[in-house]
Amino acid sequence: MNHIALKMLMGDTGKYIGIVMGLTFASLIMTQQPAIFVGLMSRSYSFISDVGLPDIWVMDAKVQFVDDIKPLQETELYRVRGISGVAWAMPMYKGLLKARLTDGTFQTCNVIGLDDATLIGGPPQMLEGTLEDLRRSDSVIVDIDGATDKLGKPSLLPGGKPTPLKLGDSLELNDRRAIVVGIAKVTRTFQSQPVVYTTYSRAKNYAPRERKLLSFVLVKAKPGQNPAELTRRIREATGLAAYTQAEFMELTYQYFMHNTGIPINFGISVLLGFIVGAAIAGQTFYNFTLENLRQFGVLKAMGTSNWVLLRMILLQAVLVGSIGYGLGVGLTALFGHAMRHTILAFKFPWQLLVFSGAGVSIICVFAALISIIKVIRLEPAIVFKG
Amino acid sequence: MTLAVHCKQLTKVYDTGGQKVTALNGIDLDISTGELMMLVGPSGCGKTTLISVIAGILDQDAGLCELFGENLLTMRSKDKLNFRARNIGFVFQAFNLLPSLNAAENVSIPLIINGTKRSVAERTAKTVLEQVGLGARWQSLPSQLSGGQQQRVAIARALVHNPRLIVCDEPTSALDHKTGNTVMALLKDVAMHKDRTLVIVTHDARIFNFADRMAEMDDGHIIKIQANTAPPPPHS
Amino acid sequence: MQIKHILPVLAAAGLVFAGYTVVNSNKPTPIAKAVTEPSTAPFKAFIAGAGIIEAQSQNIAIGTPLPGIVKAVAVKVGDPIQANSPLFYLDDRDTRANLAIKRADLAKAVADVSVAKATYTDAKALSDLAEAVTDRRAISAEELIKRRNAMLISKAKLESAAALVQQAEANVAEIETTLSRLVIRAPVAGVALQVNIRPGEFAQAGFLSTPLLVLGNLEQLHVRVDIDENDAWRFDKSSKAVAFLRGNRQFKVDLVLAYVEPYVVPKKSLTGDSNERVDTRVLQALYRFDREQMPIYVGQQMDVFIETTVTPNAPPEAAPPVAAQGATP
Repeated sequence: MNHIALKMLMGDTGKYIGIVMGLTFASLIMTQQPAIFVGLMSRSYSFISDVGLPDIWVMDAKVQFVDDIKPLQETELYRVRGISGVAWAMPMYKGLLKARLTDGTFQTCNVIGLDDATLIGGPPQMLEGTLEDLRRSDSVIVDIDGATDKLGKPSLLPGGKPTPLKLGDSLELNDRRAIVVGIAKVTRTFQSQPVVYTTYSRAKNYAPRERKLLSFVLVKAKPGQNPAELTRRIREATGLAAYTQAEFMELTYQYFMHNTGIPINFGISVLLGFIVGAAIAGQTFYNFTLENLRQFGVLKAMGTSNWVLLRMILLQAVLVGSIGYGLGVGLTALFGHAMRHTILAFKFPWQLLVFSGAGVSIICVFAALISIIKVIRLEPAIVFKG
Repeated sequence: MTLAVHCKQLTKVYDTGGQKVTALNGIDLDISTGELMMLVGPSGCGKTTLISVIAGILDQDAGLCELFGENLLTMRSKDKLNFRARNIGFVFQAFNLLPSLNAAENVSIPLIINGTKRSVAERTAKTVLEQVGLGARWQSLPSQLSGGQQQRVAIARALVHNPRLIVCDEPTSALDHKTGNTVMALLKDVAMHKDRTLVIVTHDARIFNFADRMAEMDDGHIIKIQANTAPPPPHS
Repeated sequence: MQIKHILPVLAAAGLVFAGYTVVNSNKPTPIAKAVTEPSTAPFKAFIAGAGIIEAQSQNIAIGTPLPGIVKAVAVKVGDPIQANSPLFYLDDRDTRANLAIKRADLAKAVADVSVAKATYTDAKALSDLAEAVTDRRAISAEELIKRRNAMLISKAKLESAAALVQQAEANVAEIETTLSRLVIRAPVAGVALQVNIRPGEFAQAGFLSTPLLVLGNLEQLHVRVDIDENDAWRFDKSSKAVAFLRGNRQFKVDLVLAYVEPYVVPKKSLTGDSNERVDTRVLQALYRFDREQMPIYVGQQMDVFIETTVTPNAPPEAAPPVAAQGATP
C-alpha cells in the first residue's frame, strides 16, 4: 500500500511540487532567519569565545556584558593569582580607543592589551606575522576586516575602496605611534569595530590616563579544579565578579537579549515564517487529500482499513515533509555558504536543524491529522455516486 | 443453487439536514450464486443504496442482509473489511481508477489489500488484463486509455482477487452504446461462472438483455422481479 | 529522470550539505596558544606577587657632595669596583689654583715668622744688654723700658706670625679636602650597575631621579616581592617561596627570606612607565636565592609565589562557618 501511497502523492507533479515548495519555504525561513539571529547573537560573545585559553574571567562585579568595561586596580591581578586552584591569571586590557587615519578621520577601535610575557588571549588565527611580533616596539596586530576596511588607508578617489593596511604600516592610537606587525583573523563582533591587539603595558600607554586600567583578569583553573567552585572562591576572596567562559558568554548574550530589540524582531519573523509555511504546506496537503478523497474512498470500499489509510497519509506527509525539510535546510546552508565572506551574521548550529525539523514535523503532522480525520470519517459509499 | 445475497425487510433512512429520506423501504431480495442480477429503476429509487448495503459499505437501519450466509452488520469491523476485501469486487460508473497508477498497478490493488506481495500481485494483474484484452496496455495510465478501456481495467480490478460477488454501479452509463455492449459482454464472458454472482445497478436499457434476472425498483421498494427470457445479444 | 525523483535526491543533497555546514561552520575557533607558558604556583594555597631583582646591598645611587663638571669617569658599567676606589672626577682646576694661592700664603707666613724671629732676637739682645748694666745711672730708665718693651712687642709679633702659619696651613688643608671631595669614590665594593654621567656633564649635588651612577653588590642578589596589603595578613615569614623567570617558566628558583621591610609602602607599578600610579600599598619582602640557578639581571621582574597556610576566604582565627565552607579545596 505504501507504494500506492507514494504513487498517489507523486502522480500529480504540480501538486506534489506545490506541497514540497510550501514546506521548503517553511523550513527555509525557519532555519535561515534563526541562523541569522543566532549568528548575530553569537557575535555578541564572539570575543569571549575567541579568547579560548582561560577558563574564568574575573571583572568588576557590575560588569553587564563583554563590552561594558569597568576597570580594576592592577593589584587585583595578584590577589586573583594568590587564590588556590588558580593555575595562572593574566591581565587583559580591553577598551575603545580612537585611531587616527592618514586622512585625518578618526576610527574607534577595540584595543586589546595582552599580558606582556605570555601574550595570552591573542587572536585565534594569524594571517600575517606572528603573535611574538608584539614584542617589538610599538607593535600592534590588526584584524583583517579592520585592516581592509575601516582602518585601511582611505582611497584617494571619493567613494573608492580603502587600501588595506600592510605589515609595517603605522597607525596613530591616541596620538601614539603604532606599527602593524601582524594581520589576524578574528570572529566578527557585534559592533564590528576593528580589533587592535597589543601588549598590556603598551595598551596602557595608548589608553587615556586613568587610575585603573585592568579590564579583565583571565584565569586558568588548575587541572581537576571545579570551575564553579573556583569562581565562587574568587568572588568570595576578591569581591569581584568571576564567570566561567560559558557563564560570561551567557551573561553577554542575555544582556543583548534583554536590552535590544533583535530577539523580538527575529522571533516575529521566525513565527511568521512558521505560520506562512504551515499555512501553505498544510493547506496544500489538505487540499491534496481532499481531491484524493474519492480514491481513498475506493480503497476503503475495497476493504482497506482506516489504519492502513492512516499509514498511507502519514507516509505521504513524512515524505513531503522530509523533502521540503531537506531542500529548506539545504537552501539555508547554501545561503550561509554564499554569505560566508560577507558582513552578514550567519551561524548554523545543529540545534537549528532540530528546531526546523520539529517545525516541519509539526506542520506535516498537523496537515496529515486534519486529512486523516477527513479520510476516517469518509463513507465509502460515496464511490457509488457518479 | 446456494443463496449469495439474502435481504429481508431491508430499510435504510438517510438523515439529510433534519429531513428524513427513506432510501430503502423493506426490501426483500434473494440472489443466487452464479446469477447476474440487474437492479433497475429511476434515479433516486434506492438502487445504489441497496448495493452499498449488499456490498457491506453501508449499514442498514433495519432488516437483514446476509452475504453468503454471513450477516455483515454483526461482524466486527475488521472482519467485515477482510470479508469485503476477499469476497467483493467493484466496478464503478466513474471507473474510479487511481489516476497516478498504471493499469497493472490499479488492477493489483485488491490483491495488495489482501496482503499479496506487490510483484506477485502485478504479475497476476497482467494475466487478468490479458483476459480483458488489455495485456499490452498494462503500463498505460488511466488518462492514456479510452473510457471503454478504463472500464475494462476496472473490470479486471474487480476480478483479480477472484471475488464471489461483483457489484457494478452503472458500468456502462459513461460509455457509448457499442462500448457499453462490449464491456457488458466481456463482463458476462470473463466474470460469470457458477460460483460468482454479479449485481449490476443500471438504468441503461440497452444492456438489460445481459441480465439473468432484473429487479425493478422505485421509491425504496422492489416493484417486480422478472427473469430475462430474451437471448443475450451477440458478441460484437 | 523525472522531477518527482529529482526532488528527493535534491532534498537528500540539501540535508547532507546542511549537515556539512553545521559541522563545518561550528568548529570551535582555534585558540591562540600562549607564546610562553605562564608560571603556575607549586603550592596549594599561596600569595602571588611581582618581584624585582636587586643587589643585596640594595642598589646604591651614588651622589656627589659637590656640584660640578665631570672631568673623568673612572669606571664603566659592569666594572667590578674596590671599596674606596675612585668612580669619577669633577673639574678641580679652580680648586687647585686656590690651593697654590693658599700654599703661597703659607710660605709667606713662614717667612714672616723668620722676620719676626730676627726682630725678636735683635730686640731681646738690646734689652738683655740694658738689663745687664748694673749701674742704673749708666742707662736712663726710659731707655731701659723702651728696650724691654721693644723686646716684648717683637715677641708678640713672633707669636702672631707663628699663628698665621697655622692659619695658612689650615687653609691649605681645607682646599686639599675640597680637592679630594671632587673625586667620588666607591663606598663599598661592588659593580657599577648603571653609569649615567659622562665627562663634561654637570653633576648635580642632592637627590636625583636619575642617579649619576648606580652601584650594587652582585655577589648576592635579592628579589624584592610586593605583597598586596590585602594579602599581607596571610604572609608567613617561615613559609616557602619560589620565583619564576618571566618569559620562561623553566627557570624556577627557591627563595629564602632575607628580611621583610616592616614599613608598607605605596606600590609603584613595576612596568617602568614614567608616570607610575600609586593605587595601593604593598608589603615588601626580600628574598635571597642561588644566582647559579638562573640567568638573571638586576632589575628584572619575576613571578613569585609564597606558600601560605590560609586561603583568602578562611581567616585563621575563629573562622565563621560560611567562610570555612568556602575553604574546602
